[in-house]
Parts: sequence; structure tokens; C-alpha cells
Amino acid sequence: MSIDGWRPAAETVTGRWSALERDWQSVIVGGMIVALVSALELQIPW
Amino acid sequence: MAVRRLLPGVFALCLGALLARGLALSLGVNNLLLAIALGVVVTNGVGIPARLESGIATHKLWLGAGIVLMGASISVETVLEVGGRVFLVVIAVATLTLIVVELLARNVFGLAERLGSLLAAGASICGVSAVVAVAGAVSAREEQVAYAAATVLLFDAITIAVYPIVGDLLELSSTVFGIWAGVSMFSTGPVVAVGFAHSEMAGQWATMTKLSRNALIGVVVLAYASYYARTGDGDTPSVRTLWAEFPKFVVGFLALAALSSLGVFSAAQQTSIEHAYNWLFLLAFVGLGTEIQLGDLRQTGLVPAFVVMLSLLVASSLSLALLLVLF
Repeated sequence: MSIDGWRPAAETVTGRWSALERDWQSVIVGGMIVALVSALELQIPW
Repeated sequence: MAVRRLLPGVFALCLGALLARGLALSLGVNNLLLAIALGVVVTNGVGIPARLESGIATHKLWLGAGIVLMGASISVETVLEVGGRVFLVVIAVATLTLIVVELLARNVFGLAERLGSLLAAGASICGVSAVVAVAGAVSAREEQVAYAAATVLLFDAITIAVYPIVGDLLELSSTVFGIWAGVSMFSTGPVVAVGFAHSEMAGQWATMTKLSRNALIGVVVLAYASYYARTGDGDTPSVRTLWAEFPKFVVGFLALAALSSLGVFSAAQQTSIEHAYNWLFLLAFVGLGTEIQLGDLRQTGLVPAFVVMLSLLVASSLSLALLLVLF
């Protein structure tokens, strides 16, 4: 699929993201990090 | 596109976080307080370019995400063991602060009723967020909101500097210091920052205590809305207000705490999650520092600042005495 083909999907995602309350956005960001760490055994340095 | 608009500012936050971490390691100072200081120096020294502003404003999102992730490191057993006592202290101190500010504002210093209510909500619950939430419910004037918010920010800046010093001078334990910061300081960001600057355990207690205090905002908004609706010049409250004002990231925090207590995460995963929230807090605190504009703080009214200072002194010293007895 060309980049143009992905554009509507990307716009839908960003639209839905913007419509979310900031607190729920925080929950999603946290959830995504946990999912990445759990699924890929990601080692985050400190 | 919105993402492209945010990227420069988010990149600046990442850069600030890396710089704060690097400087903290080489200077041997606390990285969270250094991140805030970095933000303060940049915003008051050279200013924030307009194209970075929207990205930097995402710092509250990163703070919320960091708090959600912190749920994975919480010992549910400890929370259940002392949580009841902490929640009672939270309710007692929040109620006391609210009453002290209202009484001083109305009866001693003769401030406008709504300004007093905004200051009371900001001081007793969750800083500027509470000011904004109550302002909507009581139809406060714009300048009253700005005044109350500036007063809260002034004390956020003062307490960020003073609490760690008092904690060290009195050699407070991590539990007492964390709960004390969570129960008596104003905004969530500064509470988390001074908590973790003291110790990891103090940071966790500070955050949990502050979250339970923040959860009271719905009740306070509902109470104020009912009061002002009765006097005929406020919005009619509804039970929906309780959920609308509830800080939703608490749901994510509790979900992760539950998963963690079920043993879902391995030790390595928990360490990675802990590192992730440390980085998120650094991003958030660089952004928080940029909100402390010294010029704005100087414009805070003397009387509202005095009212809030007196209530902070009362709530802070009484809660510390209570915590030293209880823990």
C-alpha cells in the first residue's frame, strides 16, 4: 500500500487520539509501554 | 498534522530529560529537581519558542503515564496495611485546609466568595486542576481563576524547594515524608518530584497519597456546585460531575497495581517499567519547570497568597505531627 493509502487510517487514529481526555491518553501511553516491555522483553536503561 | 506540531516540543523535553539525567549523574544531585530547575532556567532565561510550546505542554500527559506505570511497582500488601489510615489522614487534612482557607478568605481577609472557594479547592485537593474544575462549577470570573491559579503555582514553586530541606533537617522516614508531601502540597507534579527526590519509597507514598486526594475532586466540585446553585448563581450539579472530574489515570494505576500483585510481571519487566516511569517523570518535570514563570508569580496578590500560606502552614504542620504519631 502506498503512503497515500495509509493516510486516512492515520488521520482516523490521530482524530480519535485528540478526542480522548488527557487522562485516558496517559493510560494508553502507559499501557503501550507495558505491552512493549512484556511482549518484546524490552530492556529500558536508566 | 497535529503530531508534527507536537514533535519539536516533545524532542526538546527529551533533550532536557537527557541533560538533567547526565548533569545529575556527574554533579551528584537529584535528577528530578534538576529537571524542574532546567525548565525554570530556560523559560525565565531565554523563553520558550512558540513552535515548541504545544509539544512542551504534553508534560502532563507524560506525568500521568508515569503514574500509571508506577502502579506496577506498588506493594499492594503495604497499601492495604496502612492505606486506611492514610486515606483518613487525606480526608482530614483536605477538609481542614478547605475550611481554613474558606474561613480566612471570607471572614478575616474579606476576599470575594468565589476567589476564596477557588483558593480553598486548589489548596485542599489538587492545585490548578482543582481551581479550573471548581471555577467551571461555580461560574467564577476569569481573573479570579488566573489569580487563584497563580497563587497555587507560587506555592508549588516554594514547596518544591522547601519540603526536601525540611524532610532532610527532620530526618523524616520515607513513609512519613512521602505521605506528608502527598497530603499537604498542592499540585501532583511537585508532589511526585519531591517524593522521588527523597527516596523511591517516599515517591511511591507521595504519589499514592496524592492520587487518593485527587480522587476527592469530584466530591468537592459537586459540593461547591450545589452551594452556588442554591444561592442562585452557579451551574446545577449532577452525579455525573463525580466521574467527569475523577482523575482517570488512577484507573490505569490501579489496573497495573492489580496485575503486578497477581505476579504478571517478571523482575526484569518490573525493572524496565520502573526505568520507563523514571524517564517519563524526567520529561514531565522539565515541562513542569517551564510553567514556573517568575514574572507571573510576582503578580500574585498579596492577600490571597497570605491566606494560602497560613492554611499551608496549619495543614502542613498538623499533618506532619499526626503522621509522626501514626507511623
